[in-house]
Amino acid sequence: MSSTVTSGGGRAGKIRAGRPGAVWALPAVLFFTFFAVVPMALAFYLSFTKWDGLGDPKPVGLANWQKLLDDPRLTQSLGITVLLTVASWAFQTVVALLLGVWAAGRQRNRAVLSAIFFVPFLLSSTAISILFYALLDPNFGIIQKDTLGSSSGAFLAIVFVGGWQFIPFHTLIYQGGARQIPQVLYQAAAIDGAGRYRQFFSITLPQLRHTITTSTVLIVVGSLTYFETVLILTKGGPGTDTAILPYLMYEAGFKTYDFGYASAIASALVLAATGLSLVLIRLSGFGGMRSTREGM
Amino acid sequence: MSHDTLPRPTTTDKRPERQRPEGRRRSRHWTRRANPLAGLGSIIWLVIVLVPIYAMLSASLTGPDKALTGNPLKPPTDPTLDNYNTVLSSGFWHLLSNTVIVAVTVVGIVLVLCVPLAYVAVRARTRWSGAAFRLFLLGVAIPAQAVVVPLYLLIAKLDLYDSLLAVILPTAAFAMPVSVLVLTGTLRDISEDLYEAMALDGASPLRMLFQLTIPLAKGGISTVVIYAALQAWNGFLFPLIFTQSDEPRVLTLGLFNFVSQFGVNIPALLASVVLSGIPIFAVYLVARRALIGGLMGVGGK
Amino acid sequence: MESNRGRSTGSTGTAFSRRWVLGAGASALLTTGLSACGSGEGSGGGGDTVTAFVYGDDAVKVQTAAVARFNKSAAAKSTKGKVKLEKIPGSDYSAKLRTAMGSPSAPDVFFNWGGGSIKAYQEADKIVDLTDIIENDPVLKNGFLPSVLAAGDLKGRHYGIPMRGMQPVILFYNKTVFAEQKLQPPTTWDQLLDINTKLKKAKITSFALGGSDLWPELMWLEYLVDRIGGPEVFRRIQDGDAEGWGDPAMLKAAEMVKQLVDDDAFGSKFTSVSYVNGGAPAVFAKGKAAMHLMGSWEYSTQLGKFPDFAKSSLGWAAFPKIEDGTGDVRNVVGNPTNYWSINPRTQNKDAAIAFLKDCASEAYAKDLVALGDVPTTSNAAALLSSAPNPEYATFQYDLVQQAPAFTLSWDQALGDELGTKMHTEIGKLFTGKSSPSEFVSACKGLK
Repeated sequence: MSSTVTSGGGRAGKIRAGRPGAVWALPAVLFFTFFAVVPMALAFYLSFTKWDGLGDPKPVGLANWQKLLDDPRLTQSLGITVLLTVASWAFQTVVALLLGVWAAGRQRNRAVLSAIFFVPFLLSSTAISILFYALLDPNFGIIQKDTLGSSSGAFLAIVFVGGWQFIPFHTLIYQGGARQIPQVLYQAAAIDGAGRYRQFFSITLPQLRHTITTSTVLIVVGSLTYFETVLILTKGGPGTDTAILPYLMYEAGFKTYDFGYASAIASALVLAATGLSLVLIRLSGFGGMRSTREGM
Repeated sequence: MSHDTLPRPTTTDKRPERQRPEGRRRSRHWTRRANPLAGLGSIIWLVIVLVPIYAMLSASLTGPDKALTGNPLKPPTDPTLDNYNTVLSSGFWHLLSNTVIVAVTVVGIVLVLCVPLAYVAVRARTRWSGAAFRLFLLGVAIPAQAVVVPLYLLIAKLDLYDSLLAVILPTAAFAMPVSVLVLTGTLRDISEDLYEAMALDGASPLRMLFQLTIPLAKGGISTVVIYAALQAWNGFLFPLIFTQSDEPRVLTLGLFNFVSQFGVNIPALLASVVLSGIPIFAVYLVARRALIGGLMGVGGK
Repeated sequence: MESNRGRSTGSTGTAFSRRWVLGAGASALLTTGLSACGSGEGSGGGGDTVTAFVYGDDAVKVQTAAVARFNKSAAAKSTKGKVKLEKIPGSDYSAKLRTAMGSPSAPDVFFNWGGGSIKAYQEADKIVDLTDIIENDPVLKNGFLPSVLAAGDLKGRHYGIPMRGMQPVILFYNKTVFAEQKLQPPTTWDQLLDINTKLKKAKITSFALGGSDLWPELMWLEYLVDRIGGPEVFRRIQDGDAEGWGDPAMLKAAEMVKQLVDDDAFGSKFTSVSYVNGGAPAVFAKGKAAMHLMGSWEYSTQLGKFPDFAKSSLGWAAFPKIEDGTGDVRNVVGNPTNYWSINPRTQNKDAAIAFLKDCASEAYAKDLVALGDVPTTSNAAALLSSAPNPEYATFQYDLVQQAPAFTLSWDQALGDELGTKMHTEIGKLFTGKSSPSEFVSACKGLK
């Protein structure tokens, strides 16, 4: 048997017989195209129109894109979005990395605590946002301060709430990653007299680099979707200080009914996200021929 | 470090037997050593996790008359389940069943569409299969928010506005990219030899899919099930824009509406948050291992 | 826009007189045939059922009762129609109405604010012109105060039937707090500032303010501008002259707002307090704040949430005079009322019209009065004695009757597109993110 399989010519023939046709992928491609790709194209088309949701989209050329370039709120929103992403990344990565490495130990108390740490992730982001909205109520919550009424307070609240929800998940990823670091590396380092912190920086961190990339990709993509947290906690306020791009788009579309302009923002978001995903795919090797078990 | 080539994780399963005696002692030396700083950090995080949960549970048991005056951090003096009754009689079961319907359907659609696609992407050697795979790859970072306006147009045109399908179809579509990535990753781990063995037996690609690929891809499939179900469970924007009446209202949107319905009746509002978490908490208690294992898979394991 | 009791912005938008058809590019993408796979699960439209969208707040019980009454009535039988009420949570009523109206599941009858709020619907031919119907129907023609019926007009044509109470903005005060501090409600601005100083010493916030909703902040500006420069100032802006924002009265009003904020008149955390979730009313009812500038619905809100407070401690007064201002102290700002309008696509217009007529009935007006509202029906004055608080009902009625000018809420007059942006600028003014002069120049640039 093995001789047939390994011999070049025979192999090709046999294998071709056992391969599925590309047509099997067609349902998925059609479905995804219709509900994701076509809407993206449609968003692009609508960005060249004026449409209030009731009449016809009316072509207006580049007016919305011109407005996009001139809109100080867009610049501000872009800045907030980037800042939020960076802050979320820093918060979630630091906490999840430390917790994950700690939780990778097999002690019983660590297992119990890990199980508790995971609980916030069981709530939906809507539920978590409402929970903190209630707890932060300036007059009837547990922190009776103007937290959501100050720019920095509102921003930090969004970062915190996002972290509270997603750190459990990233901790899990790091826990999985840390458990796969070969013990022999630590043994060797211990023999060389490296202390715990030295070991962390010269073994754990480098060994986790693929995990860090994966987790980073998920955090960056995830922080673009803090829409409901912003809607529930701050409505983009105070003023416009927490209006991230998706919220700005929602406001343009479903508060001022300027669907053309909303589509221009959306198109810009799609372009930015596509660019970002290309970069991230390259960095993470997500799309390569890697096996899933690599990269942890 | 140079004394050994870095072992890839895939080879670690062979290692313990050879190294067990020394390894166990050493590993104890590393992992079992008390680490006061890390211990302190984990206690701090424990407090951060538990205080909001405790405040939520405690407040949800507080009577309405004390709701606006009491300190939410003190345990309620005479706990009551009235708030839970209020929420349960405000259509909670209906919201929950809608969310379950959405989650199950989304998972079904994603599996039925993505498993064959991943199978093709890994097994077929045509230009088209690669192109199909790259299409989904690009979709990974596209935020669903970005297409909500044109999707609204599409949904309205299809006469799906204000129906559960209006939530299900786009949610499934946007769960597909990551699902495809996870599945192709899993499928690539299935050894070529196994396919070749089946091909020798004259198995059709369909039989290979069901008798070889799917059984061996259980890990990836359970990851996709959990991931897609979570997308449905967390979904907010699509229900917000594409539905308005009571019938197709899902849990997240129901909670959002409770904010204006209950207002500063914080106990009732928090009772609704607690109730929304109970079903998935039950799943967590029953199937923690599967849930955790599946989620680790989203991270690329 | 998020507001209790039907206060909201309206919606403008661009005119598209043609029917709702996709643009050429869009229809090319939406290849034919795909639209055939719709499931048609929508709630509105079809058959004999008349779906009515209503703003879902505490006052909706009046409409619920009206629907029950109508569905049992002879009119329902003769028109073979039943009404189904869809209560839409207030915080996103406007958006829900807009998205539903653009879909096949559009309602047959819908709640709105008249004027600016229905302009886009009128331009898109999504609203029935009721002028002739009202003219030929004595019940409708004589049922309502003509001024209120006309207040929701577009270019002199009626598109809506009044269906809620009148909603002037009133200065409410907590009588218990005022008695404890030995205070009288202010009739002049100086008195108001004086009261603020005294309350501050007593560590009580002068005014409850739901700043996170933005529109409660707008009420302050509306009254200040009216008292300083009269109703003409905003009229000019409403008529489309953005330079009207440059009126000295606007700058003066913005400066007075800044002074109040700087003096802690609204407390230190008003930015994160909401009216919609009941935060501001609770702060007011619990005595943490002494006064509350709010629409007349505040009474029924308090009656629902804190009945003891509403019955024994809730006081009301007109907005004070500003010493060197030219505006008449009797002027009022707020909303005349809310309206029902009809979607021309309805399958059962007769039933829809018959249902609208119920709003002119005595039973309907009585339900409104029982809720603490003052109906806008012609028979309202006679019914006020049966109000839960006849004194309050009469005060409100007289306030509106005697007002030389009733300025429409600015957001509603301007419509959603401008209104939302104006809210944002007002929010920035109140949080100190823009100075009064920056506020004025930002508003001039709104379009």
